[in-house]
Amino acid sequence: MKGYRKYFLNKLIWLLVTAVFAFILNFTLPRLMPGDPVAAIVARLAQGMSSSTGMKEVYEQYAELFGTNQPLLTQFFIYVRNMLQGNFGTSFSQYPRPVADILRTSLPWTIALQFPAIIVGWVIGNMLGALAAYLKKGFDKVLMPISIFVSNFPPFGMAVILMVLLGVNLKWFPTSGGYGFDLMPSFTWNFIWSVITHYQLPFWSIVIIAIGGQAIGMRSMSIYELNADYVKYSRFMGIKDRKIVGYVFRNAMLPQITGLALALGTMVGGALIAEIVFSYPGLGYTLLNAIMGKDYPLISAVTLIITIMVLLATFIIELLYGLIDPRIKAAQSD
Amino acid sequence: MKHTFKQIFHSGKFVLGFCIFMALLLLVIIYPIIVTDDPLAIIGQGTFFPPGIYVNSYDSIDKPSPYILNLPDAAAKRIVSKLSESDRQEMKDWLLASGIPENEIDTTDTAKLMEQWETNYDPTKGLGMTYAKQRYYQRLDKSISGLLSPEGKIIAAQNPDTGILEQVGVINQSDYVNVGEVANVRVLMLGTDNFGRDMLTQLVKAIGVSLQIGIVAGLVATAIGLTLGLLSGYIGGWVDDIVMFFTNLFTVIPSFVLLVLISFSIGQDKRGATTIAIVIGLTSWVWTTRSVRASVISLRNRDHVNLSKLSGHSIVHIIINDILPYIASYVIMALILQISAGILTEAGLSILGLGPRTTEVPTLGLMMNWAMIYQAHILGKWWAYLPVLVAIALITFSMNLMNTGLDQIFNPALRE
Amino acid sequence: MGNVMLEVKDLTTKYITRFQEDVYAVDHVSLKVEEGKSLGIAGESGCGKSTLALSLMGYYFPPLHYTSGDIIIDGRNISKMEPDDIRKSILGKEIAYIPQAAMNALNPTQKVIRFIEDVVQAHDPFMTRKDIYDLARSCFETLGLPANVLEKYPVELSGGMKQRTVIAISVILFPKVLIADEPSSALDVTSQKMVIKMLRNLMENGFIKSMIFITHELPLLKNVTDDIMVMYAGQIVEKGTAEQTVFDPIHPYAKGLMGSIIVPESGLRKVKLTAIPGVPPNLKKPPHGCRFADRCRYVTAECRMHPIEIRQADGEREYRCIFSEDELRKAYQND
Repeated sequence: MKGYRKYFLNKLIWLLVTAVFAFILNFTLPRLMPGDPVAAIVARLAQGMSSSTGMKEVYEQYAELFGTNQPLLTQFFIYVRNMLQGNFGTSFSQYPRPVADILRTSLPWTIALQFPAIIVGWVIGNMLGALAAYLKKGFDKVLMPISIFVSNFPPFGMAVILMVLLGVNLKWFPTSGGYGFDLMPSFTWNFIWSVITHYQLPFWSIVIIAIGGQAIGMRSMSIYELNADYVKYSRFMGIKDRKIVGYVFRNAMLPQITGLALALGTMVGGALIAEIVFSYPGLGYTLLNAIMGKDYPLISAVTLIITIMVLLATFIIELLYGLIDPRIKAAQSD
Repeated sequence: MKHTFKQIFHSGKFVLGFCIFMALLLLVIIYPIIVTDDPLAIIGQGTFFPPGIYVNSYDSIDKPSPYILNLPDAAAKRIVSKLSESDRQEMKDWLLASGIPENEIDTTDTAKLMEQWETNYDPTKGLGMTYAKQRYYQRLDKSISGLLSPEGKIIAAQNPDTGILEQVGVINQSDYVNVGEVANVRVLMLGTDNFGRDMLTQLVKAIGVSLQIGIVAGLVATAIGLTLGLLSGYIGGWVDDIVMFFTNLFTVIPSFVLLVLISFSIGQDKRGATTIAIVIGLTSWVWTTRSVRASVISLRNRDHVNLSKLSGHSIVHIIINDILPYIASYVIMALILQISAGILTEAGLSILGLGPRTTEVPTLGLMMNWAMIYQAHILGKWWAYLPVLVAIALITFSMNLMNTGLDQIFNPALRE
Repeated sequence: MGNVMLEVKDLTTKYITRFQEDVYAVDHVSLKVEEGKSLGIAGESGCGKSTLALSLMGYYFPPLHYTSGDIIIDGRNISKMEPDDIRKSILGKEIAYIPQAAMNALNPTQKVIRFIEDVVQAHDPFMTRKDIYDLARSCFETLGLPANVLEKYPVELSGGMKQRTVIAISVILFPKVLIADEPSSALDVTSQKMVIKMLRNLMENGFIKSMIFITHELPLLKNVTDDIMVMYAGQIVEKGTAEQTVFDPIHPYAKGLMGSIIVPESGLRKVKLTAIPGVPPNLKKPPHGCRFADRCRYVTAECRMHPIEIRQADGEREYRCIFSEDELRKAYQND
């Protein structure tokens, strides 16, 4: 277990370092542009606000929140402190609602949609890729072009196609929102059913995109593993093919896990845009509204949350990987 | 070199991808020579005109000598096109109520339905329907008899002296115009978008602009990736450590987030297509860096590189002569992937409302964005979004096919 | 004469390439190994010796295909058996294989003992894990391997240890024939020595009854095996005892092969090293006549006219040449 502890510590330090950089980027990027952010904010704010006392209040709140009159480094620490306390400021577009409150309502939708969808897509994609490598011939000939096509299709495009086919034309599923617009969130059967039906289209459009990319990767990995020496040796020791295929797919899947960790950022980005197509009440849609409303605090908070989410998910995947693959422990104890 | 080219064009995948890509490129080059309209000119008053040939009604009425064609099915076709599905259903309901058995009524057979209606309909029969319903059927009957009347339509003009309408001509049901003789005919193969702009002209322009964005983004990303990969792979040591630190960092921090932050900070007014392309390139170099570095490390200690080092060649000389030729195929493949990824990224950004500013040129992403905002997909205006999606898919698909083809040539292990 | 453990008659196998071309890598090979004996197979790379090793297993998977011939293990002809039966009752149990690159022969994500369990249970599904562990442990200890290797992953073992583990696993079911395909070529000298020692002990300890040892290192063969067979372009060109083949080869190719290597034996110090010019023929279209003709110093027009049959020589030796033994010997003396 000593090897694993070293691995764990390594990954934990890496998580902290990346998180620090995520904060720095989130803080500096908007400030690299000319102009005082608070002044810009207030200028934008002034357009939409009628009450002058409200405006002054907001200005003071932001001046304090950003600490604009202090040195940049102090500003950064103020920023980090605020973020860690969950103090993301007040939304412009939904004034006077606090940003933290908006995030609280949208984050669960995104987590409940994206992570299951990406995992399901990953599992199905790997199974199909493995089958294509093993069966070859017809199955491979059909599956591979489809996978290449699908994985190159933009995620929002898949969302639109599914929506038009299954939602607008066949009317199997509702086309937008997280639940029926005439319902209030509650623990009634009616509401839960509505959530489930609204879940289907966004879910499957993310799943299908994930399947395509994963199937291609898994196919190459499996072909590579099927030609490995241990396959030949195991055959000559009389082990059944079914069992050998088990070895191969386990070994081919391990790099796919790291691959998932590396691709997670891109996948989440695409999936957020797919959310927008369905007006799903998650972070993607919140981000769109924030951009439309030039709601700076909300954009900043959403991007930070997405980054932290991806970093944490990557961290968890890598920890699990360290548990599954014995090579990790061996490499650490060298 | 010649042999390699021959090999490349023997790969079915590469050739297919190359042909699709070339076809798109030719379209982008040749179409503007034929159709010189401004792709963003608003020509239609109204949103989402369906695809088709638009013939100017004024010009076609104005023709002095109309052609007369006696076609037997003309009347039937006219009625078919004018009798809506709901009217047919209502007719069926009335006929059912009047006692015609259901299996004798066929709403798709217009001629028979009209005949049944004419023989059976009697405006005096109430059939227990509400007064409003009875009135509806009377109106329906009237319009149906209007359809059946063989008379033409009268053209009247106002007499400038008396202000009274006077008949100046009659258009009979058997009058035709030759489309070729009508002064104003416009073919809108893909209809118009929500602003009334010609979709096809706009789409062709957008494909061109998106390709440019992809190419600029791809070149920027590849240039950065190649430089960093070469430096960190060849020099190693602390240079490698630093480069790899940032590469790993930007692998886990989603580039999507960086793009959103940077694009938003630049602001709508300063976001041109080129700016967006460069921003995309700046956020997508990590994969190229990783793979270039890996290949350089495997090359670094090969005999020919060592020989070159012993001969006292400079680092630049060694990199250009002894390393670049070996990774060139890899870099080209990475560039192709970056271009297609750049096009997809632009589309994603535009859907978020962070794409290039909307006033100058169309891009595939912007077109998609407008179609989504005006709900073309929900309203069933397929021509506003489907051609855009198909264009995106064709570009990325063709590039990935080329890439897969190249991959199979340069990595024999993947053949089979 | 002891019990014949392995007899091969006219075995022919081919590879079918991606372009549907046939490559005849093993062409009418016959051989015989008696109980307690070991046979070495020598030849340059690409001569078909590794393919012969694969072919001897009687279990074929693409791109290798069986064409004709018989493989008889301890009186049982396996070449007509169903692949599934061969896998279940022959492989690992009657005939076992040590691969060329034993480094990667073990599944990297499986503990050694788990793989042994899979091997044993493929032939005897009713054996308990405890029994298998005891069997493996006693086998490893007899062969001088530490028992804790069983609980390790292959990545945790050194190269030499991995190779010895593979050998131990190969013989865990006491096969009658062991086929070792260059088992030591990828190792450093110390590990090589241990592996060779281990292979020689296998027979003494009763793990195996006979062995075929394939290598391009002739000196090694002379020390390990009783008989040596030289292959060229998919055919056997010379067969004899180790002593005869190394010190007194008959066939011009065998002669050239011996001349091209350094043999650290006292009598051979002064022999000049020679190389055989040219390259072996393309096995997609093997020449009609003698396959060595293009590289042979003693070639005549007749050599290329018809296939050369293998012929007997004194002392149970065989060789494949148009000339008689005496003619060849005379020619060698004139050089």
